[in-house]
Amino acid sequence: MNQTQQRPLTYARVTEDVVRMVDKPSAKWWALFLPTVALVGLGVTCFFYQVAEGLGVAGYRHPVFWGVYITDFVFWVGIAHSGTLISAILYLFRARFRMSIYRIAEAMTVFAVLTAGLFPIIHLGRPWNFLWLIPYPNSRELWINFKSPLVWDVFAVGTYLTVSSVFFVVGMIPDIAAIRDKVKETPRKIIYSILSFGWKGSNREWLHYTRAYLYFAALATPLVLSVHSVVSWDFAMGNVPGWHTTIFPPYFVAGAIFSGLAMVITLTIPIRKIFHLEDYITLDNYDGMAKLIILTSCIVGYAYAAEFFMAWYSGSPYEWGQFVYRATGEYAFFYWTMVICNCVVPIAFWWEKVRKNIKALFVISILINIGMWFERFNIIVISLSRDFEPGAWGIYKISFVEAGITIGSFAWFFMFFLLFVKTLPAVSIAEMKEILPVPKKGG
Amino acid sequence: MSRKENKGKDGMKRRDFLKVLGVVGGTAAVAGSCSEPVEQIIPYVIPPENVIPGVPKFYTTTCRECSSGCGLLVKNREGRAIKVEGNPESPINMGKTCAVGQASLQGLYNPDRVRSPLVHNPETQRLEAIGWKRGEEILAEKLNSLGSGKIVYLSNDISGTYSKFVAEFLKPLGGEHYVYETFSHEPIRKANEIVFGRDEIPSYRIDKADYLLSFGADYLETWLSTVSNSIGHSKLRDIDHGKTGQIVHIEPRSGMTASNADTWIAAKPGTEQYLALGIANVMISKGLNKVAAGPVAKMVSGYTPEKVATLTEVSADTIEKIARDFTASKSLAIGGGTANTGSNATETMVAVNILNYLAGNIGKTVDFSDPLSISGANTFGDMKKLVEEMRSGKVEILIVHDVNPVFTLPGELKVAEALEKVPFIVSLSAFLDETSEKAHLVLPESTNFESWGDYSPKKSVTGIVQPVMRPVFNTKSAGDTLISVSKNVGALKNTFAEKKYYDYLRSAWKKRAAIIAPATGFEKFWENLVVKGLVTTAPAPVEVALSPKISSVSFSDPKFSGEGSFHLIAYPSYRFLDGRGANKPWLQELPDALTTSVWDSWLEINPAVAEKMGLEDGSYVKVDTPGGSFEVQVFVYEGIRPDTVAIPLGQGHTSYGRYAKGRGVNPFALLPAATDVLSGGLSLLSTKASVSSLRKRDLLVRTQYTKSQGDRPVTKTVALDQLGHNGAHHGSEHAKHPDFYPEKEYSKYRWGMAIDLNKCTGCGACVTACSAENNIPFVGKKQIAKRREMNWIRIERFFEKNSDGSLDVRFLPMLCQQCGNAPCEPVCPVFATYHNHEGLNGMIYNRCVGTRYCANNCTYKVRRFNWYTYKFPEPLNWQLNPDVTVRSKGIMEKCTFCVQRISYGKDLAKDEGRLLRDREVLTACEQACPSDAIVFGNLLDEKSRASVLSEDERGYKVLEVVNTKPAITYLKKVKQERV
Repeated sequence: MNQTQQRPLTYARVTEDVVRMVDKPSAKWWALFLPTVALVGLGVTCFFYQVAEGLGVAGYRHPVFWGVYITDFVFWVGIAHSGTLISAILYLFRARFRMSIYRIAEAMTVFAVLTAGLFPIIHLGRPWNFLWLIPYPNSRELWINFKSPLVWDVFAVGTYLTVSSVFFVVGMIPDIAAIRDKVKETPRKIIYSILSFGWKGSNREWLHYTRAYLYFAALATPLVLSVHSVVSWDFAMGNVPGWHTTIFPPYFVAGAIFSGLAMVITLTIPIRKIFHLEDYITLDNYDGMAKLIILTSCIVGYAYAAEFFMAWYSGSPYEWGQFVYRATGEYAFFYWTMVICNCVVPIAFWWEKVRKNIKALFVISILINIGMWFERFNIIVISLSRDFEPGAWGIYKISFVEAGITIGSFAWFFMFFLLFVKTLPAVSIAEMKEILPVPKKGG
Repeated sequence: MSRKENKGKDGMKRRDFLKVLGVVGGTAAVAGSCSEPVEQIIPYVIPPENVIPGVPKFYTTTCRECSSGCGLLVKNREGRAIKVEGNPESPINMGKTCAVGQASLQGLYNPDRVRSPLVHNPETQRLEAIGWKRGEEILAEKLNSLGSGKIVYLSNDISGTYSKFVAEFLKPLGGEHYVYETFSHEPIRKANEIVFGRDEIPSYRIDKADYLLSFGADYLETWLSTVSNSIGHSKLRDIDHGKTGQIVHIEPRSGMTASNADTWIAAKPGTEQYLALGIANVMISKGLNKVAAGPVAKMVSGYTPEKVATLTEVSADTIEKIARDFTASKSLAIGGGTANTGSNATETMVAVNILNYLAGNIGKTVDFSDPLSISGANTFGDMKKLVEEMRSGKVEILIVHDVNPVFTLPGELKVAEALEKVPFIVSLSAFLDETSEKAHLVLPESTNFESWGDYSPKKSVTGIVQPVMRPVFNTKSAGDTLISVSKNVGALKNTFAEKKYYDYLRSAWKKRAAIIAPATGFEKFWENLVVKGLVTTAPAPVEVALSPKISSVSFSDPKFSGEGSFHLIAYPSYRFLDGRGANKPWLQELPDALTTSVWDSWLEINPAVAEKMGLEDGSYVKVDTPGGSFEVQVFVYEGIRPDTVAIPLGQGHTSYGRYAKGRGVNPFALLPAATDVLSGGLSLLSTKASVSSLRKRDLLVRTQYTKSQGDRPVTKTVALDQLGHNGAHHGSEHAKHPDFYPEKEYSKYRWGMAIDLNKCTGCGACVTACSAENNIPFVGKKQIAKRREMNWIRIERFFEKNSDGSLDVRFLPMLCQQCGNAPCEPVCPVFATYHNHEGLNGMIYNRCVGTRYCANNCTYKVRRFNWYTYKFPEPLNWQLNPDVTVRSKGIMEKCTFCVQRISYGKDLAKDEGRLLRDREVLTACEQACPSDAIVFGNLLDEKSRASVLSEDERGYKVLEVVNTKPAITYLKKVKQERV
């Protein structure tokens, strides 16, 4: 559809394009959507099998009591982070390159938190008792242990899910109103009417709306830093060599943004292609994200080096033993995959050509996602495999149930995402219009 | 049968009786009620007298798992035996037990026990269940129609009344009784006959020695009376004013026993005799001997240290040093084990006897006045003869009782084939093992926990065997069966006046009582006997002199069959003995002390050889011997000579229940029927084997894969000469570090423990005791391959190096350290684990949601997670301790210092308005520990043994650097100048 590309972006075209995206799903969409549902089914089956049999069907073994599920948890929480970064922090900094992608990033955040939140429950020995981690008054007068980082986690993830969902829903109000005005069929019209909260687009509404959005952005901003810091405390508060380090909060936040940006790139490139959004999501937008990736990649790389340095400098045989083991032990493949994907590959982004090459961006972003999953795996599993007590050292092997649930979690995320692009405005109509030249009267 | 009837008959009598028993602490035993089994167990519609739900009863009995005959106290709760403890009254084990004893209840409750009499159906070729009446009729018919062939009763060592009973049973039938023990230590007996004119095994008093020289005797594993030996070992290890005993062990392989010696000398296989002669030579030539050498001088004169050095590959200096040390203190030389079962085994034992003789140990550490009952067993030569008789059809009826010759006799004898020629085989065994399987009739006996009997492990001790609960299955004690059968056999009609074996036993004891304690009436005597569990007599001292026969001995090289380049050592496992323990899951799952391997066999091979052959841990090899070959996985072990490979015995069952069948290999099956020339004893070290790599590798399933602790100071040692300098060494470990937080305060108790690594032998009794006390499930090989064993206490084993580069094997029992500053506590989100006011790190199972953060954060990795809901197949679950929650899937668990025992003890103390006294509550591991390495107690009580030991100068905390403030203090292993 080269014609579309040649047509200049106007207010009318923006609305038209976005409304077209939420049109009747094509066969292509179904071809993508149905497999995700099937794979979610696989994950759910694995989960119930695990509940029925016991956690033995997962790959856990003494002394590795946390494995792929917690890796998945941290991975998805990390993915969730760049959404808020792009929508809130970059909003406050007035970074224009966020306009076209922030809606997708926000949706990604909400779905990633939804996915992440499942994993601590999947991971529990007795998942049916997960609500015992929530402080609610009960007749047994049982209370929770506020010293435990896992309790902080419940709050952090819970808060993040709430705030990012509200931010997401509020941000869409004007756009949904625009779709509401365009669609004809009754059921959809009713749904969009409800979701648009009776938005009329009056000046008074816009005044309050922009204020509210600013406050939400301000409220969400600290969460970008705090949530993943809290997640990092799950490890940093433990005494396991490889976990017990003060560098973790900034290291995790940088890693989260790093992986989140990569995931945004991974998601937007196909959408851009399928829905012909080349005029909206421009190469300059990718350029901006790639630059942020360079920054976070450097922070992550620095953290890796600092960990090694501190382990050596501490003189502790436990710390040093752990890091030597990471690089040279049975898990060396995982470690070096992580280093190459997260520190070496992103060096390519120092060249503008690469930053603006869609194919390169796509490949590198996927590699970064892989690298960041391995990073969490390395931190969790390798550290636990070799801590203080040499008599207890042992090696973890992933089981098919864990693989099934992990694949299911990706499917679960993409399933929501596919539903999102087909039902909600994936590109912000209102904000896109802000950066377009104001149309002349009648034109 | 109603209870009423029972009561009317002997109600008053029993009540009086119980009054007497009630006085005897908590360890009262009930005699009358067990002979007439309690009619109702649970629920108590009419509660039986003297059974208070929740209050255990203890019955004395005698362990029959091996020939040691340890006294036991069996804990019975509401009619079920739930735990075995050592009987403190027994001079054999003094309240201690080994792992095998701890697991013995899994024999009682074994799901693969024969549940009713079985008869062989020739049509289906199967054993089919029948009733007792019919079963006994069949045997009676056979006995009545006994033709010209003979009847043989084949049993294990059943000294005591039963042995007399069998003799009476066989006499009118003209039968023979064979007592078969796989390891009957014939060379020791023969050598004693040759040297001292006494065909018996004396008591070797390790506890009285300061210097123990062991020629291959695995005295901590299977040699004679292991618990008793361990107690002696522990005494020898006591440190008094900077002095301690010394142990030198000579064997081609460093087994658990050698690993606990100060010096392990890997002499060339089969040359131990020369070494002993060389030492004797030095003694005489340097004038160190305390007794006139007499004819011995001439015998040893040719064995100069230099000559012996070339024969044995042990340096002349070492030989001289041993000779000097051996005569400088209260010494003892012992010999045995697989290494000393070669063709020259008796000669070796003669040489060992010479050492004891020259050092003046006879009558001191070698006590002939109190010989062991195993001395009465038939020799391997007799067994060979019996097998031949069976093969030639001379044996018409064979009664097999609790022995498994098909499995334990060397493959060359082809016992299974010989059994085919026996027209009628009756098995009285409780299990369908390889031998019972071949029986035509199985009349399953009740185990020793369900029947009456007695057993005399040595001359001075006779223990009573009494039922500790009513039979689990439809079984009868062998004595009862035979008496009942005898009533229908013409020749035996009038043999037994008694109706039950219990009555027979009592009448036999009546006669004994008249001699031992004529003053006390028999009923009183019997009560005392049953309450105490045993009777001891003071044996009269005997004079022992050299026998002239000694000069007839000439010393020869051992003979080996086969062409291979390795000596094959098939050694008895301390877990399975000759294979009889293999059907008990706790023993299968007890990690072997050195390899930590479970549920399997392995071949130990030297690292240098392994490297050359390209073998690693878990590589499969084919072992070829003249008697056949087998495939097995390899364990690369520094503690074995390069010219030797070793494999444990006891696995490789083809039947004997679900836990034994099809695991590992049975080396007996390919052993030749080689014997020691002089004694005719079975030679286990008789084969040379060739080993070839099969070029495949799999996980050799173990519980510990790390061999060395590397730079982690988990186990620590201290040189003997560093101790005693006014505690100078003490300061280095007990330094107080400033702390950011105030110390935790405890009001009455702070439970703690001291574990002496100098005494711990790695035997694993604590591990099994813990499993039995705390309802710890076994999980099987597949799960252990995933490191999911559930043991709350594990023995860590590290191969380190001594300063001279020699192997230093260290053991460390690792259990929850009940940290004062426990890393597991703050991370639990739901307070399922918490610190209690007595310093225990509590665990609330029903609050646990299973985040497993506690286990990650545990510095010692002692927490265990229930990956599944593990099942105890019926009736193994009868053994479960009702005081301890049975855990289900998704829950974390760990050691709590047997908190149920602490609570029980505190309740008793509270009734008396006092605090618990030291040693009033023992943890299960501590109570079992035969070497007394574990001491539990209140650290707030400065006088408690645990407190005193915790302040010992050898004390240290494992991984103290993490600042967990453990309640367990380990005492460093002491290193002394090596030979």
